[in-house]
Amino acid sequence: MIDVQDLIDFFLLRDPNVRWVVLGIMLMSAASAVVGVFAYLRKRALVGDAVSHAILPGVCVAFLVTGIKNPWILLGGAFLSGYFSLWCINLISKHSRIKPDTAIALILSVFYGVGILLLTSIQNSGNANQSGLDKFLFGKAAALVYDDVLVFSFFGVLLILVVMLLFIPFKVMAFDRDFAQSSGLPVNALDTVLSVMTVLAITIGIQTVGVVLMAALLITPAASARYWTHNLRIMVILAAAIGAFSGILGAFVSYEWAKMPTGPWVVTFLSLIAVVSVLFGTHKGVWAKLRQLHRNRLKMLEENILKCFYHLGEQDHSFTIARSLEEIQEKRLFELRQLKKGLKRLTRKKLLLLHADKYALTDQGMEEGKRVTRIHRLWELYLTKHLHLASDHVHEDAEAIEHIITPEIERELEVHLNFPRTDPHQTPIPYK
Amino acid sequence: MIQQVENPALELHNVTVTYSQKPVLWNIDYTLPAGKLVGVIGPNGSGKTTMIKSIMGLIALNSGYVKIFNKNLSELRHRVSYVPQRGSVDWDFPASVLDIVLMGRLKTHNLFKRFSKEDKEIALECLKKVKMDHFIKRQISELSGGQQQRVFLARSLAQEADLYLMDEPFAGVDAATENAIIELLKEMRTQGKTILVVHHDLQTVREYFDWLLMLNTRLVASGTTEQVFTPNFLYETYGGKLSILAQVGELVKEKSHPLREKF
Repeated sequence: MIDVQDLIDFFLLRDPNVRWVVLGIMLMSAASAVVGVFAYLRKRALVGDAVSHAILPGVCVAFLVTGIKNPWILLGGAFLSGYFSLWCINLISKHSRIKPDTAIALILSVFYGVGILLLTSIQNSGNANQSGLDKFLFGKAAALVYDDVLVFSFFGVLLILVVMLLFIPFKVMAFDRDFAQSSGLPVNALDTVLSVMTVLAITIGIQTVGVVLMAALLITPAASARYWTHNLRIMVILAAAIGAFSGILGAFVSYEWAKMPTGPWVVTFLSLIAVVSVLFGTHKGVWAKLRQLHRNRLKMLEENILKCFYHLGEQDHSFTIARSLEEIQEKRLFELRQLKKGLKRLTRKKLLLLHADKYALTDQGMEEGKRVTRIHRLWELYLTKHLHLASDHVHEDAEAIEHIITPEIERELEVHLNFPRTDPHQTPIPYK
Repeated sequence: MIQQVENPALELHNVTVTYSQKPVLWNIDYTLPAGKLVGVIGPNGSGKTTMIKSIMGLIALNSGYVKIFNKNLSELRHRVSYVPQRGSVDWDFPASVLDIVLMGRLKTHNLFKRFSKEDKEIALECLKKVKMDHFIKRQISELSGGQQQRVFLARSLAQEADLYLMDEPFAGVDAATENAIIELLKEMRTQGKTILVVHHDLQTVREYFDWLLMLNTRLVASGTTEQVFTPNFLYETYGGKLSILAQVGELVKEKSHPLREKF
């Protein structure tokens, strides 16, 4: 179980070691997320993955050349090989018949393969200095020292600052590159800035989560944030928050359980947030869609019941007669449970009145039933007249469409059909 | 027939453009008068979009040059506005209608600058002109095709240019939008703006345009609509047979042959 004291100690950052690690991871995750938003919107998600893998050979070469594990030198090597891989991807997709997705896959596997080769040979070389180099492969946040955190924080802040400063040009470029260029934006320079930023974010992130999981840190926050907002500024802030929050949680898990790795836990929390976003996100989330479906079904049920009452009224030339469940069922076979549910809702909305187990239309309910009936008949007429459908082919369609037509379209239909008196079955169309 | 004019708003001089070796524009050479509504017609793949993009410097020319009001594009970029095809962007982008129109107010000499109050007022004014002022806060992912096109047009208006290059502004829009757009373009013309429009519907050509460019890799005709919108030129533009030019083009591509001896 989680020790409450540990929890308090952790989140108050009482332990100086923890303080550094948490701060570094937070800044790094937030910065990757912010940069990732633009990679995501420019549909370069996979490029991030390729570059992450392509960083490994750079780290190894930097170590082989210098023989020491200075973070600046290793990161320099990582950055160079990351940027070189990006350059190769662009070169291949521009000047050969190979398509971008293939180019990305190619570069990813070739660079990663070379990286693993170099890493293995370094590990077998007997150089005592090499231990810990494999943290680039899988990440090892707990091993972060003050120097690393300094590097992280510097670049993290730098990346976030650049995005804040160049927010508008980046936005225009991400939406419409041709337009950006046509209005005189230095798109090539900005492209380079964005590429450098992506590679930088990956380079600093790699020590925490490793090359394999880095793409998640870059792209997942952006993908999650997109489910909650339509505003790019909010999306960036949200992605940063998601990144930072997952960072803290991941750090906490590895603080509380010594054997737990930080990076994979950060990614686990990121993925959890992504799943929650896909399910419950307000923009195209699964739950929002289901609720919409549910609302549609309820609306159809209610309108169908009112229509049924209206038809019964037409039949008996009186719209105020109270009807029993059996009478309604006889006119139209609703599923009993659904019918009861609908009647209850309509009574609550004061569209129906309940007297001694019988229901009658209120004035408002009558108008509503009339409206649905009118739209149904107008639509049938529209279909026969303008889609040249036979009059016995239009009922099914009208049954569904009657529930979605807005007052504006209804008016258009009336004007367009010149306020017809009857529908294709010669039944009168009731107007207000 | 290529009708040349004095003091042109736009001049293309011997412009040739190739895509992976294959020529898509071949020695295009014309001058356009200022203050006219100009239609560009030609079959699919005849190089209409390529021509607009190369005027805007988005595609490198293999040879020739483009002059706008007798100057290079880089000298008067702010006087030219480009409306790309509606389908060229992803409309599921997190932005509102106002956000997109404000992009027309981008300051390219100072990348760090935010939009001012005046920029916003101009953007609103432009949205009013395309009758989209009730949709300012609407998410662009929720717009219909016609509305998307109006937003693109408003963004272009916000640039307050003198020469407008529009790539198929009438493609896939409803009749109401088409009417609104053409009325707007005519109004812009009376203010002396020059507007070049890539167009597909031959039925409306005579009604919409003063001047016509007929394109099929090469320039078939350039002149007043009255003079060039004739069955002969139409046949030459749209004629089905593979022309000798197209055959040579295929050959050039196949053999990776240069289109100019010297570059």
